[in-house]
Amino acid sequence: MKGKYLLIGISLYGIAFYTSTSIHSLQQKTVVIEDVGKLLPTRMKEVKSTQSTEELQNWVRKEKTISIAGLQHSQGGHTVYPNGTLLDMKSYNEILNFNPKEKTITVQSGVTWADIQKKINPYGLSIQVMQSQNIFTVGGALSVNVHGRDIRYGSLIDTVDSFRLLKPDGEIISVSRDENSEYFSYVIGGYGLFGVILDVTLQLAEDELYEQRISTMDYKAYEEHFKSNVQNDEQVKMHLARLSVAPKTFLKEMYVTDYVLADDQKKLTRFSTLNEEEKVALPKFMLGMSRYSDWGKDVFWETQKKHFQNSNGSYQSRNNVMRSDSTFMEYENANRTEVLQEYFVPVDEFASYIDDLRKVLEKEDLNLLNITIRYVEHDEDAVLSYAKDDMFALVLLINQGRSQKEIRRTEKIIQKMIDVTLDHDGSYYLPYYSYPTKKQLKQAYPRIDEFFQKKRELDPDERFKNLFYEVYAQ
Amino acid sequence: MNYRTFVTAQSLLMTASSMVFPFYLLLIRNIGDSYSQFGLAYGLFALTGALVHPIIGRLSDRLGDRTFILVHTWGMAGIMLIIPIIETVTALYLVQIVMGILGAVQKTSEKTVLARQSNGVQAGKKIGSYHLWTSVWGAIAVMLTGYLIDFLTIGSLFYIASILYLISSFLILKSAAVPFRVQRKKPVQL
Repeated sequence: MKGKYLLIGISLYGIAFYTSTSIHSLQQKTVVIEDVGKLLPTRMKEVKSTQSTEELQNWVRKEKTISIAGLQHSQGGHTVYPNGTLLDMKSYNEILNFNPKEKTITVQSGVTWADIQKKINPYGLSIQVMQSQNIFTVGGALSVNVHGRDIRYGSLIDTVDSFRLLKPDGEIISVSRDENSEYFSYVIGGYGLFGVILDVTLQLAEDELYEQRISTMDYKAYEEHFKSNVQNDEQVKMHLARLSVAPKTFLKEMYVTDYVLADDQKKLTRFSTLNEEEKVALPKFMLGMSRYSDWGKDVFWETQKKHFQNSNGSYQSRNNVMRSDSTFMEYENANRTEVLQEYFVPVDEFASYIDDLRKVLEKEDLNLLNITIRYVEHDEDAVLSYAKDDMFALVLLINQGRSQKEIRRTEKIIQKMIDVTLDHDGSYYLPYYSYPTKKQLKQAYPRIDEFFQKKRELDPDERFKNLFYEVYAQ
Repeated sequence: MNYRTFVTAQSLLMTASSMVFPFYLLLIRNIGDSYSQFGLAYGLFALTGALVHPIIGRLSDRLGDRTFILVHTWGMAGIMLIIPIIETVTALYLVQIVMGILGAVQKTSEKTVLARQSNGVQAGKKIGSYHLWTSVWGAIAVMLTGYLIDFLTIGSLFYIASILYLISSFLILKSAAVPFRVQRKKPVQL
């Protein structure tokens, strides 16, 4: 009798032991990856990275499903896919050719803007278009067709001479506006769905000395200020504005930084050393306070405003404007995360758009931490182009919970904001969480069907996949 | 169950628990991604233990020590198979609660067994020797694991611990069972 129970006990234990070890070894084989949005942890087969082009080519031929990743600051799962292989491109980062005379540089796609700045700054050269921060890889930036503070060179796509693409079948082709041109406008802003961008040749600009011109104004005056003092003044090369999220001045007060070409460019050498030091402690503390209270938001806004007003008239080199701090924004919290949204509205629509946006947000409970505004010129080179007109681009930083309930709550508010944006002939940026509906996507990007169709045509086996594709193309 | 078998079984069990303990803490820290979750997980363990103690105590008088030690060893052998595959915080909390209960079972039964080992004479000596051997094994296990971990994965450590718990339970199973009615009549087993 006793022996029977013991036998049953041992058998059950044996089964449990076997099951546990098999699950454990399976878990060890896969790896959970998430992008910086932290809302989409995804179990993937493997992370692969290399410096060799042949190896990349072999992997693309061999692996069934591939997602491509740089710094993974896209937040909608654009760099992950369940059970897929992740190509981590960060170590594919050589600068292949730099021609100061022609003002061009050829880099592998894992090179970051910081790497390029370090290389070209001693030659008095600068990047034409990039994000405000320099931590990103060039490949990632191309895949989302970024824009930044520069207002004269358009979007990133306008600064690209050519690139080499590793196609889904393993073949490598050169792509430019003349050669294999059909790929050009799909791959840039193509979210990694058409192949691996291997290396890119970019046009560079002269490094210049800018004088910062800071002005505070009501949002109603912004459009006029921009048109007469920025757009029509060729001396203004870069531009960035901030719109208040502090309760006392919510979506009303603004301050604006115009980067005006300094009269005496000889002084550039005095300012051309690249800024390395980041101010972290104070801004991190202030941002932390504004996360938790309205009072904190008011204090943060007033302090920030004063700080920027004090820099009125100060000088900065172009390269230094393009390497703004980002460490202070890093946020570690078990239950919450910070996500971005970016909305584009035609310049003429700005004031009325803000009024409508305020109406929506006053009724909702959204922890909005920051809004910056940039300008992007009309440009429809990329198939998924956001700049259907001369647009203001509003970047919103939102603090939200990570639970499904919180995600649904944020989704409702964001869909409302996007509706307002679309009503004003605007658009929204795609590298963020899949909050927008398919209908909103179609309205913001009328060529989206054509885009997905081309994807299936050029990658019939759907070798390159990500969650963005999964959500919107199926 | 004689005293020797009891001490050997308990030493084995201490070995198992001491060798995984530091790595278990690491695991809790990694699964919960904040110190507040770490605190909650640990607090749950302590609090469940505290709350079930009165119930376990009463049950122990009705079911006997041997049954209790067996519940603890088999239970822990099972838990050690679950820990390496835990992925979510919720699962971790559940495991902590079960371990809280099993811990209370162990604490109670070790004391009741010890209490039965003497009729008041030399109780201190027995308890002293019991703690000496179980603690020595615990200490040796912690130190050895520190070296062994270079050769083993953390997962396999939990599997080894599971097997040790099982062996410990076999030792108890093999020892002569004092029928419960005898234990009732003669609580002190010299």
